[in-house]
Amino acid sequence: MIRVDDLSVSYGAVKALRNVSLEASPGLITAVLGANGAGKTTLLRTISGLVNPVGGDIHLGDTSLLRMPTEEICRLGLAHVPEGRGVIEELTVEDNLRLGALASKVDIAEGLEAQYAQFPALGDRRKKYCATLSGGERQMLAMARALIAQPRVLLLDEPSLGLAPQVTSDLMKLILRLCESKNLTVILVEQNAKGALRIAHNAVVLHLGAVVASGDAQTVAADEDLRRYYLGLVE
Amino acid sequence: MTWPGSFRKQETTHVRLLTVLGLTVLTLAVTILLPPVADSQLAGGAAITIVILGLSWLIGWSGQISLGNSGFMAVGAYAAGIWAHHHTASPLIFTFLLATLVGGISGLIVAIPSTRLRGPYLAGMTLAFAAAIAPLAQNFTSVTGGEGGLFFNTLTTPAWFLHFFSGANASINANAQWTADLAVVIAGFMFFLMANLFHSRSGRAMRLVRDNDVAAELMGINLSRTRTLAFVVAAAFAGLGGSLFAIINATVRPESFPLTLSITLLTLMVLGGIGTLSGAVIGGIIYSFSANLVSHVNSLTGVNPTSNLGSNMQGIIFGVLLILTMLFAPRGIAGVVQRIRSFVHSRS
Amino acid sequence: MSSFLTSSFMHNIFGGLAQGVIFSLVALSLVIIWQSTHVLNFAQGAMAMFATYVGLTEIGRGVGYWWCVLLSVVVGMALGGATERVLIRPLYGKPEINPIVVMVGFLAVLEAVATSIWTSTARTIAAPFSQIYFQSHGKLVLLSPFIIFQIVLAIGIMLLVAALFRFTKLGLQLRASALAPEVARLLGVRVNRMLTIGWMLSAGVGAIAAVILASGSFGLFPTDMDGVFVAGFIAAAVGGLESPIGAIAGGLLIGLAEQFILAYWSPNVAPLGGIIILVVALMIRPQGIFTKSVGRRV
Ligand SMILES: Nc1ncnc2c1ncn2[C@@H]1O[C@H](COP(=O)(O)OP(=O)(O)OP(=O)(O)O)[C@@H](O)[C@H]1O
Ligand SMILES: [Mg+2]
Repeated sequence: MIRVDDLSVSYGAVKALRNVSLEASPGLITAVLGANGAGKTTLLRTISGLVNPVGGDIHLGDTSLLRMPTEEICRLGLAHVPEGRGVIEELTVEDNLRLGALASKVDIAEGLEAQYAQFPALGDRRKKYCATLSGGERQMLAMARALIAQPRVLLLDEPSLGLAPQVTSDLMKLILRLCESKNLTVILVEQNAKGALRIAHNAVVLHLGAVVASGDAQTVAADEDLRRYYLGLVE
Repeated sequence: MTWPGSFRKQETTHVRLLTVLGLTVLTLAVTILLPPVADSQLAGGAAITIVILGLSWLIGWSGQISLGNSGFMAVGAYAAGIWAHHHTASPLIFTFLLATLVGGISGLIVAIPSTRLRGPYLAGMTLAFAAAIAPLAQNFTSVTGGEGGLFFNTLTTPAWFLHFFSGANASINANAQWTADLAVVIAGFMFFLMANLFHSRSGRAMRLVRDNDVAAELMGINLSRTRTLAFVVAAAFAGLGGSLFAIINATVRPESFPLTLSITLLTLMVLGGIGTLSGAVIGGIIYSFSANLVSHVNSLTGVNPTSNLGSNMQGIIFGVLLILTMLFAPRGIAGVVQRIRSFVHSRS
Repeated sequence: MSSFLTSSFMHNIFGGLAQGVIFSLVALSLVIIWQSTHVLNFAQGAMAMFATYVGLTEIGRGVGYWWCVLLSVVVGMALGGATERVLIRPLYGKPEINPIVVMVGFLAVLEAVATSIWTSTARTIAAPFSQIYFQSHGKLVLLSPFIIFQIVLAIGIMLLVAALFRFTKLGLQLRASALAPEVARLLGVRVNRMLTIGWMLSAGVGAIAAVILASGSFGLFPTDMDGVFVAGFIAAAVGGLESPIGAIAGGLLIGLAEQFILAYWSPNVAPLGGIIILVVALMIRPQGIFTKSVGRRV
């Protein structure tokens, strides 16, 4: 379980997060929604230690993640698929996957087989350099690379970005299935509020770095004001 | 590290001229008091100041890293040496002008391939250039005198100077003082030139290219011409400084300008303060008295100055100073003084 | 055939290769550091020299050649790791001039300290291979068992490094840390440790170059590696500083070029050969002959 308490982050004079609190539990998807510049990416980057907060605290289970280096946080079983997916283009598909498994206790060969079974398209391209992959294939690779280490927590930063509607909806279903079957704690950052709210259990809406609404995904989805002013779901 | 110079308030040419004149006269007065040995050291320091001015301009203001300025010095010194060898009666001023010109041209030649390079590539390239100079001088023996090098006539102290300071008699004292005064006047003049250059349109263009080349290009500044100009100016300063250095020492030889000199120049510039005029002067003064500094350290630590360690103390001290300055006070002595000043100002 | 081997052309080929593998090793070591930390290590040659001198001091104590080699490499690696930790790490994110200046300072310190401990005269360490040239029909072939050893050792080290980067988990993590440090961190790679290891590896490779010099007939003196560093840098720059293969090829090219200039013109002009090759190479491809990425700022 991830608990964020009263978290504040600044980039110099820019306040990117203001007293943000949220909780994400195993087996549930927590959607973090908001417009461009709302602070969604910053929230995930702060959780995984890439950005230092100016105030507040973050817990994974009982462990405070504050001031812990990113690589150690990830070794605790937290996988972060960054904005833009972070596929290393100069490496092959297989090397990217292998890299995902190195820090964990997972047997690499078994892990690779499991991911190739889950994403057959990757298996076909295992020796290819990632620079040649399409956007959808990259997203698959980023997911597979995160999952191969069998994490407890999965942070996803706009996985639907640049994907065709059909692919997006398949991806969302996959996320839901993984979350429920593996009892993953998922924090799903999305601008595509509609798609995210369809699978999420809980939702948090950020605006200019502050939480403007949070709660049950259905309740958030039903709130006319939220839909109109923050989520862009009403024309 | 924020780059120095950007916040400097606009000074007028008059103020600059007066400052330089004042400083020069003050230094000249000091040369009267100093013993001959110290005068000679000061003369060397003045020559080095000129080189550092150019280096500081190149590295601090145009943002191009050069480790090759000892090479430009060698070029200027050889140009002066070859000229003086064939035209023994030619006035000194021609020798200096020629050295400056040839130094500048060598800068142009190095700049043409180099200004397309950035950072470490540039540093390596210029280092390779500097490393090639000594062997080249050894190769063209008929022109350069090979291993033995070339010799300059010793500077003749003019009669009026002798008359004034030495009761018309030539003396070691007066000769050393004349050499130092000559060097100081030239350095003062070059300082004034560089001060104006710093604040000129080219100087501002240079800073813009350094800080944001994309914006500079959008404003119509020709990047490669600006970078080339920086090199030419730095090399011309080095050429003049090198020739002055050689004339003070009355000789130029392949080993007069070793690679370690490039390191020394860098150390002095960093120690004084990258991209500041005062830093160049501070660097020159430190150079003047580095031998005293070294012997002082030797006696403080009880190291025999003729021992292996003692004779390598300068390399150790300069290297350590360079590292420490970069790690802990990257803007050098000038930067520290600046910070103390603004601290005092903010208090009062 | 036999007259071919003893021709002056082949003399120069052998001489150039023998010299070139040393340049290649230094170039490779520079590329390893450049890729991981984007620092051009101006003290690389001096560090290698220093490590080898430490190794050499042991030969007087009746230890065998191979122990000295091993010791030099280990000292080199320790020096490399310590340098990264102490001198380079505080400078990440600073302007690129800062690490250059610091390493130039370190170069000065290492050479001055080495000279004051071991004097400026050359030292040699006898390799267990004869320096006497082979003969063919009464004529010299400019190859000796030692030169063959030197080439084989250098190539062996290069292959070892290549295998490490390509086939091991450590190599994968090193590559990932160099290519995308943030992503590597997110995957649990201890990137800081990788940077230190990169410097250690690089310094170890550099030490081999100095060991080879010290084992040759001229020996090694404290500023000996200055020229080798310049040639190694040129070799690496010709290849684009990003490409290990390019660095190795560049080293051989510079070695051969200098040898031919030396033989047919003058030894003093030889350093110019490298510069001319670099200028021409940069004119043709500013990003380096062997660099794949196009449009990279150099
Ligand atoms: N490295 C940075 N330095 C300075 N400001 C930053 C930095 N990263 C983000 N910001 C600012 O912080 C705010 C929040 O940015 P963030 O990337 O977290 O938004 P986001 O919700 O992820 O937006 P998007 O949907 O466009 O990805 C923005 O105002 C942004 O400009
Ligand atoms: Mg974002």
